[in-house]
Amino acid sequence: MRPITDLTPNLSLYEAEDSADLRILLITGGWQVRRSFNQMGIQTGDRVRVLRRAPFGGPVVIDNQGSQVAIGKQLAEKVQVEILP
Amino acid sequence: MKIPLVGQPNSGKSTLFNAVAGFRSLTSNFAGTTVEYTRGQARVDGELLDLIDLPGIYSLAACTAVEKVTRDFLLNDDWDVIVNVVDASQLARSLELTLELLDLESPLVICLNMMDEASRKGMTIDAHELQMALGVPVVEAIGSRGRGIIETFRAAREYAARGGRARPFVYAPEAERLLAELAEKIAAHTNAQPQGALKTALAPVEDTEWNTQSGVEPVFTPPLRVHSCGGGHLCAGCSMGTPAVKAGHDAPLRSWAVVSPAVAADHEQHRYAESALAGLAVLPGQSSITLPASAARNFPRDRFQAMQWVQCDPLQIRGERPEIAEDVEWAQKSISAHSGLPADAAISAARHAACLSVFERVTRLARPSVDWREKIDRVAMHPVWGYVLLLTVFLGFFQLIFNVGKPAEDRILNLFDGVVAALARHMNPHAAVFAGVKGAVLGTAGALAMVLPYLLPFLAGLAILEDFGYLARAGYLMDAVMHRLGLHGTATLPILVGYGCSVPAVMATRLLTTRRDRFIAAFLAVLVPCSARMSVIFALVGFYLSANYALGIYALNLLVVAATGNLLARLWPEVSPGMLMEVPSYRLPAARVVALKTWWRLREFVLVAAPMLVAGSVVLSLVDYYGWSHGINVGLSPLTAMLGLPRSVGLTLIFGVLRKELSLMMLMQALGTTHVLGVMTDAQILIFTLFVTFYLPCMATLAAMMREVGWRLTLGASSALLVLAVVVCLGARGVLALV
Repeated sequence: MRPITDLTPNLSLYEAEDSADLRILLITGGWQVRRSFNQMGIQTGDRVRVLRRAPFGGPVVIDNQGSQVAIGKQLAEKVQVEILP
Repeated sequence: MKIPLVGQPNSGKSTLFNAVAGFRSLTSNFAGTTVEYTRGQARVDGELLDLIDLPGIYSLAACTAVEKVTRDFLLNDDWDVIVNVVDASQLARSLELTLELLDLESPLVICLNMMDEASRKGMTIDAHELQMALGVPVVEAIGSRGRGIIETFRAAREYAARGGRARPFVYAPEAERLLAELAEKIAAHTNAQPQGALKTALAPVEDTEWNTQSGVEPVFTPPLRVHSCGGGHLCAGCSMGTPAVKAGHDAPLRSWAVVSPAVAADHEQHRYAESALAGLAVLPGQSSITLPASAARNFPRDRFQAMQWVQCDPLQIRGERPEIAEDVEWAQKSISAHSGLPADAAISAARHAACLSVFERVTRLARPSVDWREKIDRVAMHPVWGYVLLLTVFLGFFQLIFNVGKPAEDRILNLFDGVVAALARHMNPHAAVFAGVKGAVLGTAGALAMVLPYLLPFLAGLAILEDFGYLARAGYLMDAVMHRLGLHGTATLPILVGYGCSVPAVMATRLLTTRRDRFIAAFLAVLVPCSARMSVIFALVGFYLSANYALGIYALNLLVVAATGNLLARLWPEVSPGMLMEVPSYRLPAARVVALKTWWRLREFVLVAAPMLVAGSVVLSLVDYYGWSHGINVGLSPLTAMLGLPRSVGLTLIFGVLRKELSLMMLMQALGTTHVLGVMTDAQILIFTLFVTFYLPCMATLAAMMREVGWRLTLGASSALLVLAVVVCLGARGVLALV
């Protein structure tokens, strides 16, 4: 396992720039948050891309294995990602 | 033969169902809920099949009411074979539900729908390979063009007839041991005998029967192995060196080894090796654990339930099944101890990894072709043009309905006025019976005048926007705005619909998952002036004062909606974490599906609201006949006096509860003139209109609300609205007095 320090600096899905290749490192939050992400087929380790975002703190749309999911700001901030080279 | 159709939302389940089941299908509610499913019959190869179109769900976890009833249906009802409809273009995600369905260990056939969309996305899916990986029949289909539908049901029939049965993905032995133990404990608590559909599945299955079920081609091929080594190195035993799995390796998680159904004995050893690698080392002193699957296999329902409970929120378990809470928590803790993750995360991570590796095994990806669908989104989801389009679409939509509806409504009302006149000639127009009949006829007229000209085009248009995929975009655009009201983008629809008619608006709140969201959305949706109130606003204020005043009422209403939403959100703090919504691909709506959807929703209105309208109309007619109107006006005089309105408008407010535009017609009647300005001042007209805009929703809406959120909340909302209307009107009176 990679050292845990690799997780820093923290970058949330909401802050990540558009159309960069991202990998989900961690989904923080409780049971319900985890559950909602899992249901939509979004899990730690997945490679995703931010396609577009709504203005005024609206949701981001990500592409995950060909399926598009709109994620509200609060939830997107709970997803920690890293930028893949 | 009974066949439930199970699939994720937007998987094309209904298209498939409607293609064979036809217009005679019935929608029903699950007992005691408003969650609906549709039943229908179809004849395939001479056999009559009972099809049950269950609501679309993303997983079988009992998080929302819809998931709960679907799961309970699958567990408790009698059925023969599940048809799992899968959107091929969303294969990776769709498999999550499929894997859960495999856990039921019952007959299952997969309909790989929307193959055309998948190939447009550049995906080539090997259906045969998928069949090998999952161990159940897979039929390719393009539901929208009618391809593969009959084949699906034929395959389902054959599979069930020859006793085929799905096998679950088996977790690491340690996990299976825990699950089996928990299953036993839960069974002991429940003390229930296996029942229902799974009865057939409960007899011990011999592996020989399993392997030779088709006699021709073994359904299973080498086992699928996903393992997570937990270590940073790529383990030699990992045959699935796919990118996704490698990603899993790198990520800081250790999931369980998952092995496919066909594993059986010969792979036992390999699995032990894997589980050791997976950090799920067999506990010291317990190295001789045997695979507990035999017990689990005999009681699939118990294993399935144990699996579901383990993934549940401990709080929820304590609430629903306190007697098993301790055992489940014990299992959850053990799983966490072994996997280093919360129990639900460990299981779903393992399942997810399995999905991805099946996906990668059966799919080849190429560059997707960009077509009109992508181009639409560049505008429809654009930060500026998206909103322009949204406004245009909805304004155009309402304009169209209003222009179509108004002349039709006049004609219907005239027709029924003729009926009343004819009745008056044949009956004693001074008898109470005539008053009652007249009330019933006018009530029916009112219901028809609402249904045919407005509701019908409205619901049809809505179904088209929904099936096309535009409503999801509207939700995306409005999410930020809705957050100010304590809601999410998903609640956009009820509120926009509220500008047309409150009844379908309240019904649309069903899309929302929590009771809180449903209530707030319904409350705000009825607060928004519907088209009936619009006619009052424009006919009174717009006509006698000026159009600017009418628009001013709309602006004031928006402010009140925002303030109320804000207040409600504070009073009832949010529990749901936010918007997480699939953005479906655009699809051309099928006429048949749109027609059926419209018909069912219309039918619901007729069943729920129309009786209220007719009954209310009869009562008011009798009130008029016995001359109680004076009494009512006197009874309401404190209210009318407080608002500074003439006493005679009291009764019109009661009529307004029946149908909003009636308060306009009755106003003319009550005042005995069509020149309202001669009897009421500008200020009185404004106050009256404001009150009609804000006070109680109409009876049909109340009936719909009662159904969606229960009578307590409906009563609460009604009183709150009444108070709100008085406050707004008094405020407006104060302002007017100053001016």
